[in-house]
Amino acid sequence: MSPPLRRLLIASALIAAVIGLEVGFESIVPDAAWRQLALFAMVNVVVALSLNVINGLAGQFSIGHAGFVGIGAYTGAIVAGNVHVWIGGGSEALFKNSFLVMPPALIAAGLVAGLFGLLVGLPSLRLKGDYLAIVTLGFAEIFRLVIATAQTGGAAKSGVAGALARLGGQNGYAGPLDNGVPQYAGPFWIFGTVVVCATLAWRLKFSGWGRALRALREDEIASAAVGVDPTRYKVTSFVISAVGAGIAGALLSSMRDGNPTVQPDQFNFAYSFDAITMVILGGSGSVTGSIVGGVFVTFTVKMIEQLQGLESVQALKVAHPSLDLNALRMVVYAAVLIGLMILRPEGLFGERELFRARRRARVKAPVLTEKGAES
Amino acid sequence: MTTALELRSVSKTFGGLRAVGDVSFSVPEGVVFGLIGPNGAGKTTVFNLITGVYKPDLGGRITFAGTDVVSRKPSQIALLGIGRTFQNIRLFGQLTVLENVLVACENRRRAHLGSALLRTPLFFRDEEEMTARALELLEIFDLGTMADETSTSLSYGNQRRLEIARAMMLGPKLLLLDEPAAGMNYGEAEGLKKQIRWLRDKFHITVILVEHNMQVVMGVCEEIHVLDHGETIAHGTPEEIRKHPKVLAAYLGEEEPEGDAAEAPPATSSPEGRDDGGDPQPPGPAGEAEGGHVAPETAELS
Repeated sequence: MSPPLRRLLIASALIAAVIGLEVGFESIVPDAAWRQLALFAMVNVVVALSLNVINGLAGQFSIGHAGFVGIGAYTGAIVAGNVHVWIGGGSEALFKNSFLVMPPALIAAGLVAGLFGLLVGLPSLRLKGDYLAIVTLGFAEIFRLVIATAQTGGAAKSGVAGALARLGGQNGYAGPLDNGVPQYAGPFWIFGTVVVCATLAWRLKFSGWGRALRALREDEIASAAVGVDPTRYKVTSFVISAVGAGIAGALLSSMRDGNPTVQPDQFNFAYSFDAITMVILGGSGSVTGSIVGGVFVTFTVKMIEQLQGLESVQALKVAHPSLDLNALRMVVYAAVLIGLMILRPEGLFGERELFRARRRARVKAPVLTEKGAES
Repeated sequence: MTTALELRSVSKTFGGLRAVGDVSFSVPEGVVFGLIGPNGAGKTTVFNLITGVYKPDLGGRITFAGTDVVSRKPSQIALLGIGRTFQNIRLFGQLTVLENVLVACENRRRAHLGSALLRTPLFFRDEEEMTARALELLEIFDLGTMADETSTSLSYGNQRRLEIARAMMLGPKLLLLDEPAAGMNYGEAEGLKKQIRWLRDKFHITVILVEHNMQVVMGVCEEIHVLDHGETIAHGTPEEIRKHPKVLAAYLGEEEPEGDAAEAPPATSSPEGRDDGGDPQPPGPAGEAEGGHVAPETAELS
């Protein structure tokens, strides 16, 4: 089969699968809580895939990824909410309307997050060392706190303060009419985005670009010595990473069965940390690893939360009121991570990929007339 | 002959330490040029200055084929056509041998990021051409069978050759080799000598060689520049260098029978100059006093 034909077939199969999920998702997963979890896992996969570009491939440690997801979530919610009102979407988010709402929301979220990525990355990636980690962490917290602490009382504010006030502060943003962000992102959009992002991440990794990024991660001086400009590659990959995070954010805020308000505390440091865990756990640099890591971490975190609801645990809490259950959750989570790091220090896949045979050098070297100087 | 590379009063100080002091030399196009000196003489610093890893102190000028190098970034300098290897091998560890070489043509490809993401025909054609060229180079350096192995799994000698192959993939006009013979035995060093000459003739490049192994330096270099403590002490053909009193003093730290001892640099580096007596023949008349020191080391090398 010729490559274009094969590509066409795979693409149509994937489109059919995504449409099938849109139609049949509720009958496959009847429980709304599980549906929400499954979609959230897919959003996290997009988050992990995007973080993998800068953390895994380029080897630059960014620990504020939640900030870019948050920017995307707010941008997406604002665009989706306003387009929804503008087209007169009514109280229900219809699938046919989602084609009018989701594309602008996703694009705007990606662009705005990418712009902030450029602003953050340009100064900090020129420096050597761990400055990126510090700057990204600071940026994510600044973003969260600026929104969380905005004054929401008093309607007649203008300018920046007014715009911030309309984001709802600590209580969250619930669309332009304050009746919830329309939840257009169903399985079609979320699974579809996962497919597109995974394809792009894969192609990025297995191209000259990905090779240059990995070379940069291994040795910056040597890659500069063969003409790879570290700053340019790092900044571009950081922006790509931010765009991906922004798109994931837009999916999150419009997610069907999800939370209809976007709250700043969704994007705290713990979420950034989860994103790093997904990448490292799956195998830094591995695209399939990020997918598995995203799903794994989402479900593990959920399972541990479920554990808290167990009767025996609740009884324990009654017996010992001083016990902090939240701390207990972190202890279990940490234990799981430590266990995995002992068993597989390089992550589940290392840098390798699932479903990928070792690439043989397919092009045969031309026969040389003179061979080396060894003769 | 035109000049490939020119350094004019280049200095570099790190804090209070003067690593390179007022060094000037020019390298004619097409020669194999040796840059030698005892350990700590500043040879690698000179390489780092040429490739932009360090910037020279104010006033120093480095030009490559008439183009100013000092104001450019290392990656830009590389793209001007200066390839290099490193004293402590710097390969891309997790990448395969083939990928290591392919990185060096990243900036020459016509298919850019968009093409790669859309997997256009141009992307595939590009990738195929690059791979073919890379495999050809690997074949030249006898690494063809190891193309798919991780570069860290190669033996030391193969890693050194891979570094040269990677530098050649850049399509350089000037190749800087930093101790390519380190850790090689006599036979391997002989092979390296031939390989360097062959590379120069086949690709029409200029080669600058930093090397301690005198068997290689004397055998392959047509012009030699000697540094000690960051300063030029001699410049000339291998024959001239071999007999140069200051060079002998720098390497062997002997009091000079001619009475040069006063101007000769202090003999701090003599214990490190382990390979330097690797002169195939005993030195000429000026070196009589050193004959006794050279002979045992010659015996060890051959």
